[in-house]
Amino acid sequence: MALLKKSSIWIAFLIALLGLPLVFDSILAISILNQMVIAIVFALSYNMLLGQGGMLSFGHAVYFGLGGFLSVHALILIEFETMVFSILWIPLIGGLFGLLAGIFIGSFSTRKAGTVFAMISLGIGELIAASSLIFSSFFGGEAGISGDRTFGPMFFGFDFAQNIEIYYVAALWAFIATLFMYLFTQTPAGKMANAVRDNPERAEFIGYSSRKVRFISFCASGLFAGIAGGLFALNYEFITEENLNAATSGRVLLMAYIGGLGYFIGPIIGAVVLTLMNSLLSNYSELWMLYLGIMFLLTVMYLPRGFAGFIMMHQIAWIRGNMKLLIKPYIVTAIPALLFTLCAIALIEMSHIEDEVFHYLGLELNPASPITWIVILAVAGGAFFTVKRSLVQLNDAWETANAIPKEEEA
Amino acid sequence: MAILSLKDVKKNFGITEIIRGVSLDIVEGEKHAIIGPNGAGKSTLFHLISGRYNVTDGSIRFKEQHIENKPPYEIARMGLARSFQVTNIFQRMSVFENIRCALFWSKGYGYSFWHLLGRQTELNDEAMHVLEQIGLADRAKFPSGELAYAELRALELGVAIASGSELIMLDEPVAGMSHSEAQNAVELIRKITKGKTLIMVEHDMNIIFDVADRISVLVYGEIIATDEPKKIRANPKVQEAYLGEVHSA
Ligand SMILES: Nc1ncnc2c1ncn2[C@@H]1O[C@H](COP(=O)(O)OP(=O)(O)OP(=O)(O)O)[C@@H](O)[C@H]1O
Ligand SMILES: [Mg+2]
Repeated sequence: MALLKKSSIWIAFLIALLGLPLVFDSILAISILNQMVIAIVFALSYNMLLGQGGMLSFGHAVYFGLGGFLSVHALILIEFETMVFSILWIPLIGGLFGLLAGIFIGSFSTRKAGTVFAMISLGIGELIAASSLIFSSFFGGEAGISGDRTFGPMFFGFDFAQNIEIYYVAALWAFIATLFMYLFTQTPAGKMANAVRDNPERAEFIGYSSRKVRFISFCASGLFAGIAGGLFALNYEFITEENLNAATSGRVLLMAYIGGLGYFIGPIIGAVVLTLMNSLLSNYSELWMLYLGIMFLLTVMYLPRGFAGFIMMHQIAWIRGNMKLLIKPYIVTAIPALLFTLCAIALIEMSHIEDEVFHYLGLELNPASPITWIVILAVAGGAFFTVKRSLVQLNDAWETANAIPKEEEA
Repeated sequence: MAILSLKDVKKNFGITEIIRGVSLDIVEGEKHAIIGPNGAGKSTLFHLISGRYNVTDGSIRFKEQHIENKPPYEIARMGLARSFQVTNIFQRMSVFENIRCALFWSKGYGYSFWHLLGRQTELNDEAMHVLEQIGLADRAKFPSGELAYAELRALELGVAIASGSELIMLDEPVAGMSHSEAQNAVELIRKITKGKTLIMVEHDMNIIFDVADRISVLVYGEIIATDEPKKIRANPKVQEAYLGEVHSA
């Protein structure tokens, strides 16, 4: 029964992965879906370090990028028939090199956790990013290197020229990688990673070298980051220094953190949300990075356990059948909160644009007129005030929904 | 035969000598208590034996092998388990997982990333059995960081005893427990260490005279006497240095 329940989640995940491109079938949607599955694998691999192993890395893109570079080189070798195999296996090449890099770098960086580990990861990240610009015969300098995935033996008549074909390849690999990363958490090495995260000292007194425990997680994390890099290489057919530098490392940290480090599903949520924001917001506003930053700040401050933690917070209310108590106060709070957010965005955008008219939500606003500013500020203020008031009610409802029923107390 | 043998062990922190030449033989199977005033160096001695600190001088042998300055995990694998005076557990993991982790090494799992824990019935049953012994079976799924104090102490004890090591060292296992809780814990300690060697630091004299075969008195980093409980009680040096102090307190 438990097994059935567990496997049903995985079947649902697989169906979702395979079914999504049937629902969202535009070119843009397929490209976003491709980015999404790559991001899922990458963010999950990051969480093996931070969420599960307590290692804060600022250089995780190194393993993603190296896996990606090797994969593009493999594509080139296939193109020139130096090697002959289906491009289906490219992610394994990425994974292998992610693993090798993990073994090499992990052999000294996992000696300590905490600040020392974080600083080493930052240093290695900078080092590899700088080297990639220097050794341009391998990394292709600023332009990076590119390949072509349509060479190599066909796979049941597919030559993978279409993005949708690559999506299915990526989705299957993402599924396998996710499954294995989950299974890792259910092994002695995976549990000891948690133990060492919580208390490296005590772990040593029950027979485990905390360094070796960290090393194993680190290598596994490198392997899966490399697989994600391989998927990236297949999808874009090129890779540059940008894919292994600090910005990419920062983005994966953000994804895992916003999604929720404490839950296996957290980084998946983070990867989905951030990829969507990334691709959709960037179409609407040049300032999307700013909004991303604000969202990150708000998450750190108000949802330290991320989106997944926020969802899981409702477990007790759900079990007690009290969710209905929360729906109304949530809606009553969400509406003015949304209004406030829209006003805030309008104000930020108006101080940024230089056009005469600002098209916003079907309105034509005049940024030059003080009246526009005053009205929006007034609405924002009203909304803010309403949110504050409804938060009190929400809080009360929360207490009631989570209160221990009388008969249980006795 | 001595299972553990300390010879002239010294420990300095900077220029302060905390352990000033301790020699001690622990006989296999005995229940040995270490007593002494606050700050005497009892916990430090535990840390030296279990590998948390390196010795400044001297030697420590466990089952005939030198263990001084070895990393804690190697000593633990040889069959020496310990608990801590200040609770030291895996606070974000569940109570059950804490105990199960403590079992991994002795059950031969090592660093395995190929055993799925859901399928290790014997291991899981064993962990549940330990939980029942320490009275935390109904807390199995509880996050251990949220336990009440007495429960935390029980878990601390459980993590130390789970693997069934030959030599068990407990640093004030019942400190801060209520009288009846302490009584239960002592009963459990007695049961679990049957046929094993126990070294225990404890302040409560009733418990010590109840459990221990022999007592060592540590004062300012030196053992001033090692003997049977009755003789320790009668020892004038001990009375002067330690017992008197307790009675007047
Ligand atoms: N890491 C350290 N650095 C410096 N001094 C230390 C260190 N650890 C312990 N000490 C000192 O060594 C002395 C002995 O400490 P220890 O904790 O071993 O005493 P104890 O006998 O266990 O006392 P208690 O009964 O209070 O637990 C104390 O004076 C303490 O301040
Ligand atoms: Mg002490």
